[in-house]
Amino acid sequence: MARPYGLLRAGFPYLKSLGMRRLTNYPVDLTLGAEGRIYILNRQQDLAQIRKYSFDDEDLGNFGTVGDGEDELQWPVSIIADSEENLFISDESHHRISSFDKEGEFLGTFGEYGSGEGQLNRPAGIVFDADENIYVVDSKNHRVQKFTKDGKFLLEWGSHGDGDGEFDLPWGITVDELGDVYVADWRNDRVQKFTTDGEFVMKFGKSGSANGEFNRPTDVAVDLDGDIYVCDRGNNRVQLFNAEARYVDKFIGDATLSKIGREYMMTNASPNRIRDMAVLEPQKRLRQPRSIAVDSDMRLYITDTGSYRIQVYQKEAIHLNSQQFAPPMRSVTLHQE
Amino acid sequence: MSDNGNGTKNGSKKPPVLVVLQMTGGNDFMNTLVPFTEGIYYDSRHTVRIDEDRVIPINDKLGFHPAAAPLKEMYDKGDVAIIQGIGYENANRSHFRAMDIMHTAEPLTISTKGWLAQAIQQLDPNGKNVLTGVSFGRGLPRAMAAPGVRVTSVGDLDSYGLMTSVEIKEDRAEAMDIFKRFYTPGIGSGATMSYLKQTGDDVLTGIDRLQEVPGRYESTIEYEDNPIAKSLRDVARTHIAGLGTRIFYVQHAGYDHHAIEMPAHERLLGELSGALRDFMDDLREHDAAEEVIIYAFTEFGRRVQDNGSGTDHGSGGGAFVIGERVEGGLYAEYPSLDPKTFANGEDLAHTFDFRGVYATLLEQWMSVESQDIVKGNYEQLHPFKTA
Amino acid sequence: MSTKAVEAKTDPALLAHLYRRAGFGINRDEIDQLATEDYSDTVEFLLNPTAETGIPEDELKRYLGGEAPHAYLAIWLYRMLNSRNQLQEKMALFWHGLFATGLVKNEHILSSSNQIEMFRENGMGEMREILMDLAKDPAMIFWLDNNENHLGEPNENWGRELLELFSLGVGNYSEIDIKHASRAFTGWTFAQSPPLYPHGYYPADFLFREDDHDNGDKEFLGHTGNLDGGDIIDIIVKQPSCAAFISRHLYNFFVADEPQVPTWNDLPPLDPELIDAMCKAFMDSDGEIKSVLRVMFNSDSFKNARFKKVKSPIEMVAGILKLAGEHTDFRHDLAKYPQSSTFTMGQILLDPPTVEGWHTGREWIDGGNLTERINFAVDQVGDGLSPGIKRIIDRLVESGSLSTPESFVDTTLDAMGPISVEDSTREALVDYARKTEVDDDRSRAVRMIRLMVSTPDFQYA
Repeated sequence: MARPYGLLRAGFPYLKSLGMRRLTNYPVDLTLGAEGRIYILNRQQDLAQIRKYSFDDEDLGNFGTVGDGEDELQWPVSIIADSEENLFISDESHHRISSFDKEGEFLGTFGEYGSGEGQLNRPAGIVFDADENIYVVDSKNHRVQKFTKDGKFLLEWGSHGDGDGEFDLPWGITVDELGDVYVADWRNDRVQKFTTDGEFVMKFGKSGSANGEFNRPTDVAVDLDGDIYVCDRGNNRVQLFNAEARYVDKFIGDATLSKIGREYMMTNASPNRIRDMAVLEPQKRLRQPRSIAVDSDMRLYITDTGSYRIQVYQKEAIHLNSQQFAPPMRSVTLHQE
Repeated sequence: MSDNGNGTKNGSKKPPVLVVLQMTGGNDFMNTLVPFTEGIYYDSRHTVRIDEDRVIPINDKLGFHPAAAPLKEMYDKGDVAIIQGIGYENANRSHFRAMDIMHTAEPLTISTKGWLAQAIQQLDPNGKNVLTGVSFGRGLPRAMAAPGVRVTSVGDLDSYGLMTSVEIKEDRAEAMDIFKRFYTPGIGSGATMSYLKQTGDDVLTGIDRLQEVPGRYESTIEYEDNPIAKSLRDVARTHIAGLGTRIFYVQHAGYDHHAIEMPAHERLLGELSGALRDFMDDLREHDAAEEVIIYAFTEFGRRVQDNGSGTDHGSGGGAFVIGERVEGGLYAEYPSLDPKTFANGEDLAHTFDFRGVYATLLEQWMSVESQDIVKGNYEQLHPFKTA
Repeated sequence: MSTKAVEAKTDPALLAHLYRRAGFGINRDEIDQLATEDYSDTVEFLLNPTAETGIPEDELKRYLGGEAPHAYLAIWLYRMLNSRNQLQEKMALFWHGLFATGLVKNEHILSSSNQIEMFRENGMGEMREILMDLAKDPAMIFWLDNNENHLGEPNENWGRELLELFSLGVGNYSEIDIKHASRAFTGWTFAQSPPLYPHGYYPADFLFREDDHDNGDKEFLGHTGNLDGGDIIDIIVKQPSCAAFISRHLYNFFVADEPQVPTWNDLPPLDPELIDAMCKAFMDSDGEIKSVLRVMFNSDSFKNARFKKVKSPIEMVAGILKLAGEHTDFRHDLAKYPQSSTFTMGQILLDPPTVEGWHTGREWIDGGNLTERINFAVDQVGDGLSPGIKRIIDRLVESGSLSTPESFVDTTLDAMGPISVEDSTREALVDYARKTEVDDDRSRAVRMIRLMVSTPDFQYA
C-alpha cells in the first residue's frame, strides 16, 4: 500500500480508555494480536507481568513471574509479537530478550551482558521488520543491533555521542512499512531515522517543552500514512509529526473512566464520594506515558503508565489525490482562495 | 483469675501454650463460613461466592468453604470454636492500621506495646528464658514486641543461626568461636556496650537450644510443602522439644484478594486447614497436644458486595480457637446480613469485641491478667472444656 | 597522582567519623583525597550542597520508581549511597525521624515521598521555613488531623505535637498555648485529591480555607492578637527553648546517643557546653540549621565522639552497602534493603512506629534485630570480588600488612574506615588472624572483614 498523495486531517478524537490499577499496573508497553487481543506489559517493583486484554476492556488472563530464573523477568521494557503471536520481551536487568507463546509458555532467550557483538547492556526498545528479523536498542552500549528471530547477530550501528548516527541511552524503536528505522534517542532528546541497514537519514527534535521539542522521548511509532508519533514522556504527552518530521499535533490525555473502572466504582461507595469532592481535570491527562502503538485501523494506543491505563485515540484522515491536494508551495501565504 | 489456682484448663500438669496464627491481608469470612441460605449473600456475590451445593454444612444455615474440609473434620470432633463477627467500633480498613490495632489492642491510639509481649512479660517477668515467646517467619510482629521484653524471632528453624551465609562449616565454627569472645557479657565500656554483649550472648543461648530442635524430632506426619505448613511444623518441633515456649506466633500471608479471589482463596484455605490438621496430629503423636491451643485471626473481613473478581476491605471478620481442650461450636453471633445493619452501609457489623477474645485467651487459657493489656473489662467467651 | 607529595592535613579516622555521621560512609580512597584538605573545608563542602550531586536524575526516573513505598525508598537509598551531597540526605533522614509521619495512617505514598523531598530541599534552611513547610504539608496535616481542625471545633493534635514534639519540648508551653495555637491553624487543610482507584495516587495540595479559620483573638507564649499559624511559628522559632530542643535533637542524631526524648525535661544534656554553643548559633542566625550544624561538626566534642552512637538500621544497611560498593549502577534489588533488611532490624522508613519517631541508641538492639544486623553485614561483605571489598583487599595485599597478625588486623581496620575497636575485640581478632595464617591472602582478608562487621564495636557509628 503506497502512502497517500495528501491527507485531509479531519480529526483525531479520543476513543476510550482501557484498564485500571491492579489490572494494568504500571503498563510500560503493549503489542497487538489478532481478534483485538492486546498484550500489556506491566512492570512494577516485584511485578513483571503480561496481561492479555481485549479491546472491550476484558481481562483474558496473565502470565509472567518476576525473578532471576531463565523463564522469569526482572525489568521488562518492551513487548512485540511475531506473526504467530509469540511474544518477545526485552529485559534490561537480565540483559536479554525472552520469548513466550501466547499462552505464556516459555520459549527461550537470547543475549547476554556485555559490549561485544551480539551482547547487550540494558536492552530497551525492540521491533520486528517485515522479515521478522528483530532490531534491539542496546541502550547502555548506545547502539542498535539486528538479530534473526532466534538471536543470530546480523548487524549493528551507533556509538555514544550526539552526532548523526550516535546515541545517548536510546530507548524506543520502530520500523515503518518501507523498512526505515526510527529510534527515540532518549538523552539526546531527539528522534533519528535510518535505513534498514542503519544508514543515517534524518533527525528531529531538541530539548525543551515547546511544540516539536522533547524531554526524554521514550518511544516512536509510524502509521501507514507515514505520520510519526513520539512518546514525549518527560513532557507527559505524545506528539504527532508528518512524514517530513513537521510538528502537527499533540495528545495530552483526555481519559474517561474505562468500562472496568466504572464497574469497580459501582461497588465502592467511598471512592465515589471522594471522587465527587475532587478536581477531576488532572485525571484526564497522561502521566509519564511510556510507549505508543498504532494499528491498521489508525488507532493510537498510549500506555499511560502513571495512571495504570491505556488511552486510545482514533485517527480520522482522508486520503487525497493530486486533484484534491495542491502541489507544494514555495512559501507560506496569507492569500486565501 | 477465672480458673482455679493450681490447675490449668488443659487438665494436665503441662503449662498452657498459645499458638497465634495471623491470616494476613483480611480473610473473607463470608466465604470461609458461608451463610448458604441467605439470598442477600448470593445477590451481593455474583462471582466471588460458594454455591450452595459446594458448601460443607455445619448446620442448616452455615457451612465451610469446600477447601476447608480438614477444618470441618476437626470441627466435627469438637476441637474448633468459631468466633463469629469479631471486630470493634469504627473498624479501620487500612491493612497496616487494622493489623496494628489487632496487635496492640489499641483501636484509638498508636501504641508500641504488643498484647502478646505483655503476656510474655507476665509469664516470664525476669526474662529468664529467651524462648518464652517465639515468632516464626519474617520480622517480629508488633504483637510480640514491647520495650524490655525479650523474645526470639526465627526466620527458618532449619537455617537459624548467626553468620549463616558463611558456607564452609569449619570457617563458620572458627568464626563463631571468636564471635563468642566478642559477646562475652561483663567486659566492655559503658552500659550500652554491656547490654549489647548480653544481647549477643542471649542470641547465642537461643541458637544453641533451637539448633538442637530439628535433630531431636521424628514424626510420621508428613506436612504439605507450603509456608504455613512449614511454620506450623517448626512450632510443633520446638514445642515437642520442650524448651519452655509458651507463646508462638506464625503468619499466613496472601488473603488480600481484591482480584481473582476464587482460586487464590481456595488454595489458601486448603493449605491452612491441611496444615492445622497435620499440626494437631503431630502433637497428638508426641503426646503434646493437650496443652496447646491455636488462635487464628485476621485483621478485618471483606466487603459484602464483590467487585466482580475479588472483594475489597470490609469488617466483621471471624476467628478460630482450635485444640483438644476447646469446646467446639459456634460462638458470638454471625454478623447480620440485613443491609440496614451494615457498617458504612456496605460492611458486616461486628458482633463481638476482639478484646474480649484476648481476655478470654489470656485469662482462661494462659492464666494471665488481661485488664492492663486490653485496657478494660470486655465480655468474655467460654470456649474451653471445664476440667 | 600527586597525593603522595601533598602533606595530609586531616586525620583519616576523623574524616571517616565525619562521613559516618554527616553521611552514610565513604570509601577509603576518597578519604585519602580529602585528607589533603582542611577538616573545616570538608565540613563546608557538606554544608553547602551543589548541583553536582553525582546522581543522574533522568536515569533514576528511567530505571527506578513505582508506587510501592519500597520503590520510592530504593530511590532514596540510591541517593544515600551515591549522592555527593551526603549531609543533605542525612538531614532528610533527621527530619523524617523528628517529624515522624507514618504511611500506616495516610497510606498515600505520594504525599509521604513528597514530604521526604521537602526535607531534602530545605533541610539545612531556616527553622521558620522548615516549620511553615511542615504545617502546610498534606501528609503531616492528615497524620495529625489538622484537616479536622475546624473553626469552632478545634482539633488539638497538630497544635500539641508542634509544640511538644517538633519545636519546644514538654515544659515550655502551657495547655492554654496548645488550645490557642490549635485555633490559629484552623482552616489549614488540603484540597481533596482523586481516590486511589482506578487511576492511582494524585498529589494533595495545601489549601487555606478562610471560611474555616478562627480569626478571634488568641494568646500564645505572651503574645496576643488575631494570631494565625504563621504568627505562631514566628513566635516559636524565637524561643530559646526551640533553639535548645532542636540543638539537642541534632546532638542526639549526629554526635552521641542521649536518653530518650521524653526524659529530656528531667535530665540535662550530655554536653551542656556544646548545646549552649549550638543554641547561640541558632539564635544568632535566626534559626538557620546550617549555622547550628557548622558549630556542631567543628566542635571538639563532635570530633571526639567516635563510636558513641548505635547505628540505626538504615545507617547499618547503607554503610555496609557502601562498603561493598555494588550499587553505583541501578539494580533491581535495591528496594529489598529498605523493604526487608531494615524492616527485620526494626526500622521501616516512611513508617515510624509512632508520632514520636524511632527510639534510638540501645533501643535499636534486641536479640532478633542484632541477629539480623550481623547476618546482613556478614552476608554482604562475603564476596571478595565486589568492588568495595576488592579495594580493601588490594590495599591490604599491596601494603604487605598480612605478614603479622597484628598488622593484618590494624590495616584491615584502617582500610574499612578507619574504624577502631575495644582492646578485647582487637585481641580476639588478632587470635583469629593467627589461626588463619595458613590460608591464602585474599580469602583470609574476606574472612577477617566478615568477622569485623560482626563485632559489637561495629554496631556503633
